Amino acid sequence: MRTPGRGRFFRSRTLTGFAFTAPLLFLFAAFVIYPMTLGVWYALDADAYRALFSDPIFRQTALNTFWYVGVAVNVKLVLALLLSGILDYPFRWIRLLAALFLIPWAVPALPGILSFRWMLNSQWGIFNYLLTVFGLPSVPWLAQYSTALGAVIVFHIWKYLPFWTIILLAGRRAIPNEMYEAAAIDGASTVQNFRYVTFPLLRNLYLICTLLSMVFTLGDFTVPWLMTGGAPGDSTHVLATLAYRYTFTMGHLEWGMATFAVALPVTLLFIGLLLVWVKI
Amino acid sequence: MRQTRREFLKSSAAGAGALGLVGVPLVARAQGGKLVVWWNKGYYPEEDAAMQKIVADFQNKAKTDVDLSFTAQEDLLKKINAALIARRVPDVAFCFFNDWQVVPKYGWGGQLADCSDVVGDLKPRYNEKMLAVAHVLNGKTKKRAYYGVPIEAQTMHIHYWRDMLREVGMADAPDKIPMKWNDYWAYWKKAQDELRKKDAAKYGKLYGIGMTESTRASDTLYNFDMALLSFEGEVIDAGGKVVADHPKNKKAIAETLKWFGELFTSGYVPPDATNWTDGDNNAGFHSRLIVMTPNPSQSIPAAQFFNKEDPEKKNYFDNMATIEWPDGPDGKKARYLSAVKTIIIPQDSKNQKGAKDFIKFVVEKDRFSEYIKAANGRWFPAFKDVADDPFWRQGHKGPKGQKDLHVPVATTIFLDRDNKVFDHWKHPAFSQVYDENVWGKAMARIAIDKWPAEKAADEGIERVKSIFTHFK
Repeated sequence: MRTPGRGRFFRSRTLTGFAFTAPLLFLFAAFVIYPMTLGVWYALDADAYRALFSDPIFRQTALNTFWYVGVAVNVKLVLALLLSGILDYPFRWIRLLAALFLIPWAVPALPGILSFRWMLNSQWGIFNYLLTVFGLPSVPWLAQYSTALGAVIVFHIWKYLPFWTIILLAGRRAIPNEMYEAAAIDGASTVQNFRYVTFPLLRNLYLICTLLSMVFTLGDFTVPWLMTGGAPGDSTHVLATLAYRYTFTMGHLEWGMATFAVALPVTLLFIGLLLVWVKI
Repeated sequence: MRQTRREFLKSSAAGAGALGLVGVPLVARAQGGKLVVWWNKGYYPEEDAAMQKIVADFQNKAKTDVDLSFTAQEDLLKKINAALIARRVPDVAFCFFNDWQVVPKYGWGGQLADCSDVVGDLKPRYNEKMLAVAHVLNGKTKKRAYYGVPIEAQTMHIHYWRDMLREVGMADAPDKIPMKWNDYWAYWKKAQDELRKKDAAKYGKLYGIGMTESTRASDTLYNFDMALLSFEGEVIDAGGKVVADHPKNKKAIAETLKWFGELFTSGYVPPDATNWTDGDNNAGFHSRLIVMTPNPSQSIPAAQFFNKEDPEKKNYFDNMATIEWPDGPDGKKARYLSAVKTIIIPQDSKNQKGAKDFIKFVVEKDRFSEYIKAANGRWFPAFKDVADDPFWRQGHKGPKGQKDLHVPVATTIFLDRDNKVFDHWKHPAFSQVYDENVWGKAMARIAIDKWPAEKAADEGIERVKSIFTHFK
């Protein structure tokens, strides 16, 4: 005998709802839950962690990732905050500037990075050409640790700065004009406007942008891989590129998964903070 | 009968689901009937065309469908690794990296089919020196077997621009290049100095020696191992045991690294050489930004042979030449290492018999000869009967009757010199030493981090020993 509850379930719209969401749930399970579970399963190999922590490249990589995320994200967002102020000025030429400013973000990463690599070539790159024009010595940009990692960070900032600037510009535009009018009546200067009106009202958005950008940058593979490929001497890997090297170049899937797993607590922390911040 | 919107959606969803369930086995069945072959994309269209012809002939003869796909070597290695890990494999895979990155490791893991029967049948035809590459250990049975079929090899050569040497009045004929260790390297340094002095505007950024010292390039492995042989050192012994820390070998490793470090910092190697990939020394050479470069295949002259902008092949026959690695610092003739390219059959292949028949078909004398010659001498055949073809000793004849200064040099190195395959077949851990490019890292320690060679050697040796502890 069917219980009234079950009958209601089968007759109700809930079942139809499940039926129609089933394909999505299936895809989510197949392409998100299953790979993640498998990844975590592979990452549970204690030998993999022993191998990672005995590899001097891994230690260097962890440090690089810290620098990459820490410097690239913070410099980028501070610049984005300042540039959003410039783009907020109500001049016609600013609109043209804003359109031009978006180009790096619109350009696909691959040609952008290849162009950068060419410009940084120590033999025929334009940067060294300019240095020699001014009588300065050439710099092996991508062949020494500091400038190679610096190039990765600079490209990341160049590429993603426009995106975050536009986000912060939208935030600025959402601030009611009345606030600035009130501040003007109180005799606030431009700096005071920024300090007491703009920044406090943008603070939440700025922090959310920072956390989101940290999550994106922590998993960024494209820029470091295409810019240096870990060279020179495997000194410029970040966790994403090292995991790729372990998995696909060396065939150690469990090492690659363990590398990602090392970053997972940090990523989850960022995501957790983000969820708390936006009150999801 | 009219359907309501909801009924229509319900029936559509059910239909789509049912179709999906029915469709999956159909796809699987279609794949199951074919011989799936993953082949390394050739450097020249002629190579791919030759392989396509072989496949067409095989299909006609064996009445079997062959699903042939070409993939560039870097991507193919990743594809093979992923396939072997996921156990969704092709029946045959030939990648230029199989010999050192696939065969030792996956042979050890028992994931490759034993091809000893194929190799056994072909044994009378083989150049015995090249066979060891596939004779690797299985970690489960602790026995060696042929976990692949070697077909072609590459070894170390040095290419240089003769016309650049002529331009500054230096001897350019291959037999006039000094072959003693110090004189040899000094010769290219002198060429750089003279060319820069002659025309600073044109040659201001030219370098004498295109020596790859990067962890990104497999060329670094060849360069290091060749130099280590010259300095009479070894990392593992004949039994596959690490002997790098024995005083004699430790000294040789440190001397080798010191030599690379001094070469790099001497100002005669492009500063980007620590960041080069395998193609960058080729590109630098073709762009005439370096006078000479060691290269472990004939890809550079072969590219010039097919250079459409040089229809008279002046570069190939007149402007450049290939010579040998110099005699060691002790005056002994150079000893060489060969990388022997190997076809594999994954253990999970459902059609191992078909795969073996296909490989035997590919390597039949005339057919394989046509295929390998399409690469214009880039590879050297692992089979004596194919290598007996006059092409390998004579090479091409120039339009004005010029001699080939490239292919015959490689043949001499393969057949007349002390030549052995790389040591990765001796122990699977050594494959990982190559994967990690341990010595490239050590070179970077000296060139970039300014470590003394002894410290870099110690770190490299410790890393090698650490890698070996993971394979028991």
